[in-house]
Amino acid sequence: MNSDITSVRNIGISAHIDSGKTTLTERILFYTQRIHAIHDVKGKDGVGATMDSMELEKERGITIASAATFCEWKGHEVNIIDTPGHVDFTIEVERSLRVLDGAILVLCAVGGVQSQSITVDQQMKRYKVPCIAFVNKCDRSGGNPFRVIEQLKEKLGHSAVAMQIPIGAEAKFEGVVDLVSMKALYFDGDNGEIVRAEEVPADLREDAEAYREALVDAASMFSDELTEAILEEREIPESLLIEAIRQGVLQREMTPVFMGSAYKNKGVQPLLDGVMNLLPCPSDVSNEALDMEKDEALVSLSSDPKAPLVALAFKLEDGQYGQLTYIRVYQGTLAKGDSVINVRTGKKVKIGRVVRMHASQMEEIESIPAGYIGALFGIDCASGDTFTAPNLSLTMTSMFVPSPVISLAIVPKDNKSQVNMSKALNRFTKEDPTFKTFVDEETGDTIISGMGELHLDVYVERMRREYKAEVETGQPRVAYRETITRMAEFNYIHKKQTGGSGQYGRVAGYMEPVEEEFVFDNQITGGAIPTQYIPSCEKGFRACMDKGPKMEFPVTGIKVVINDGASHSVDSSEMAFQAAARGAFLEAYAKAAPVIHEPIMKVVVETPTEFQGAVMGLLNQRRGIIVGSQDEGPMCVIEGQVPLSEMFGFSTVLRSSTQGKAQFTMEFSAYKQVPKGVAEELVKKLAKDKKNAA
Amino acid sequence: MEKKEIIGRNPLKMMGYPAEDILSEGGFGALVARAGVGKTAFLVQIAIDKLLRDRNVLHISIDEPVEKVCLWYEQVFRNIADSSGVKQLDPFWELILPKRFIMTFKVEGFSVPKLEERVTDLSEQGIFFPQLILIDGLPFEEMGRKTFVDLKAVAESLGVAVWFTMKTHRHETPGPEGMPKPLSSVEDLFDVVIELQPDGKEILVKALKGGPPESNASALALDPSTMMIRSAAAAAASGRKAQ
Repeated sequence: MNSDITSVRNIGISAHIDSGKTTLTERILFYTQRIHAIHDVKGKDGVGATMDSMELEKERGITIASAATFCEWKGHEVNIIDTPGHVDFTIEVERSLRVLDGAILVLCAVGGVQSQSITVDQQMKRYKVPCIAFVNKCDRSGGNPFRVIEQLKEKLGHSAVAMQIPIGAEAKFEGVVDLVSMKALYFDGDNGEIVRAEEVPADLREDAEAYREALVDAASMFSDELTEAILEEREIPESLLIEAIRQGVLQREMTPVFMGSAYKNKGVQPLLDGVMNLLPCPSDVSNEALDMEKDEALVSLSSDPKAPLVALAFKLEDGQYGQLTYIRVYQGTLAKGDSVINVRTGKKVKIGRVVRMHASQMEEIESIPAGYIGALFGIDCASGDTFTAPNLSLTMTSMFVPSPVISLAIVPKDNKSQVNMSKALNRFTKEDPTFKTFVDEETGDTIISGMGELHLDVYVERMRREYKAEVETGQPRVAYRETITRMAEFNYIHKKQTGGSGQYGRVAGYMEPVEEEFVFDNQITGGAIPTQYIPSCEKGFRACMDKGPKMEFPVTGIKVVINDGASHSVDSSEMAFQAAARGAFLEAYAKAAPVIHEPIMKVVVETPTEFQGAVMGLLNQRRGIIVGSQDEGPMCVIEGQVPLSEMFGFSTVLRSSTQGKAQFTMEFSAYKQVPKGVAEELVKKLAKDKKNAA
Repeated sequence: MEKKEIIGRNPLKMMGYPAEDILSEGGFGALVARAGVGKTAFLVQIAIDKLLRDRNVLHISIDEPVEKVCLWYEQVFRNIADSSGVKQLDPFWELILPKRFIMTFKVEGFSVPKLEERVTDLSEQGIFFPQLILIDGLPFEEMGRKTFVDLKAVAESLGVAVWFTMKTHRHETPGPEGMPKPLSSVEDLFDVVIELQPDGKEILVKALKGGPPESNASALALDPSTMMIRSAAAAAASGRKAQ
């Protein structure tokens, strides 16, 4: 392992699904000699690279998109960390973004910045990940890297500057002019592995000078030395220019744009040079953890390998020898034989084998110092767990996990699938805290729940593919909730004296709406309810929250205050007060104007302008509120808020209404009250379902 | 009760106009000021007042993303609610959200036929029927008189009034009666022109055309920290306090 942390790069490749991320990753692995042959991405039938690359990713998923693939380039160690691109996988995306120090934002020269690129970019902004951009598919008809640069500026607000200009356009794309060295780069050999540097072609000279001037001008903002050199009209050394650009990138104030065609083996090596020269090493980035003892206050971590350990398990994989846990060390060193604490469980863990994924085999190592990524064997943990030295209570990820908004019943097709399904569910729930599973007591069905339709679809697909578990899925069900809208009082006596020992308890007080899920406030004075029965009262009220009296949905946002009551010296018991609390809850709930809440999604559709009306119609039909429309020249972005229950099958309808030219992203926005008419429908449906079940 | 209090903060009523809606159907109003003085905040205050009176507002913004316009509304609404002592914001917010539609264009992408097509599209599908149009950030100098004449025709056919914001420049000498230069060629199309003028630490609100009746007129200022409107006397008092 290289001991120089400045030569380590932990990077992600973030991209829109069709922009050629798989092909680019494949080429990077080939040029860094991680793999030794380039697979023909384009199928025999010549359908086109997009579909094929998706197939390839499916087939070779673990090789190409494994959690952290290690490779080396010109003496630098590069860990390529897989970053899922869809908003549905919030937790997974956020976790990978925590692990990487820099990213390559891949954009398609034809499609440019699309709605998913916007989502990916927003996530990077949120985590302040410095990035460089790569405009891929410059060989495609209609490909125009300069238009993409403009879009980067306009749509994403990046200060994007070309590092190169293309030699030839579309099908005649031959190579690039590097604006730092002012050399024309061509890519020879069967697989473009030989980079040939030539003089800049005469017809491009003027353009190249102009773009270089723009680059130098932009970079001068970050280097006084460079500014001086410009003012004094001195020769600008390459290293000075690169350092200035690097400062711009680290501050996220500048996005250098590289270009090429991964499929045609052009422009990948200069991009790799860009990764080494411009993206940060682990010590350039300041990382923060949350202090559990100080209400998750932020604490800065030092990249000192001698400091107390803080490490994050960011991905789990099923390997030949059991669970492989990918881990990034942020502070201190994680060594074989160490005893560390899993902050989530509070348990002490002894580190066994420490490895690094190297070429096609694993390399046993002794320790992982701060800034490095490695993997552990034989550790029982969940993805997202933080490991620290004893006496530290820091966590890398917030313990807050959003509640799932959608659920689906799954039924295994046969016994073998049943067993495999259990294994798969066990693994997925460990990997992803937003993915939950349970057995419905009434129907006996296994229910999976998560953050969106696609989120669940992917897990069902993974069950089939990775675990050979064939399952049938039911209709997706939205996670409705119940709550109250006004204050209501209760004064309930639970009295039972029929046979055996009697039961007596009186509970009085009121309930009112609150922001929190549930608040219990004991304001009893003078022992109206003996202290030992107060927890029973709370338990009784809390039990009612699981299934609301109105529609049997979980109840949220209720504060219960008890301020009076009565007990009996013989007949009062914990049981009696639990029952009294339940009765009190039902009494007040009915008077507190209960309503049903449903998850509302923020939906952003990007469509060619001619379909704008149709798309708005589609959202409107789905009880959506259209917040606004943004004109982007030939394209238009429509933003709306739509109930999740109305979004099932939207992608198919959107495709057919827009000739497949529109796309959309969706993320959870808030819970809002269901309109009266819809609530009545829900009541009817529930009654019908109950009747059928009976 | 609370809603009434919020509506009571209608900036135009506070200026002394007898009615909340001072523009007739097809009428044009302009808010003029230098950059950063508070045109958009004033415009959004007019919009929120209208929205709370159950009217639909189409907010057209030139060169600003939808998200940024939303933020303006959230901020101004919060400020209004704070100053009116409203605690529960959500119910009002829920009420006004479906009544607002934001449309944004690039300068080069904006044209009257395009706008008309979009509005027709919305109303034909029963999605949105504007009852007031706000156009924020339209560069008056670049547009030419025809754009405004055409816009007037559209506004008349829709039966709605239109409020514009117009940016003035420090170096430009105003025309007669203080009318800003970019407005000179289209002034006749406008019924009301209100200027926001920085004056020391204050921003004064002054009607250049179509002002309120003299008897009602009261001096107003914008609070530079919140961009909310308040009486000039209150502004001066708080200014003295700060000193």
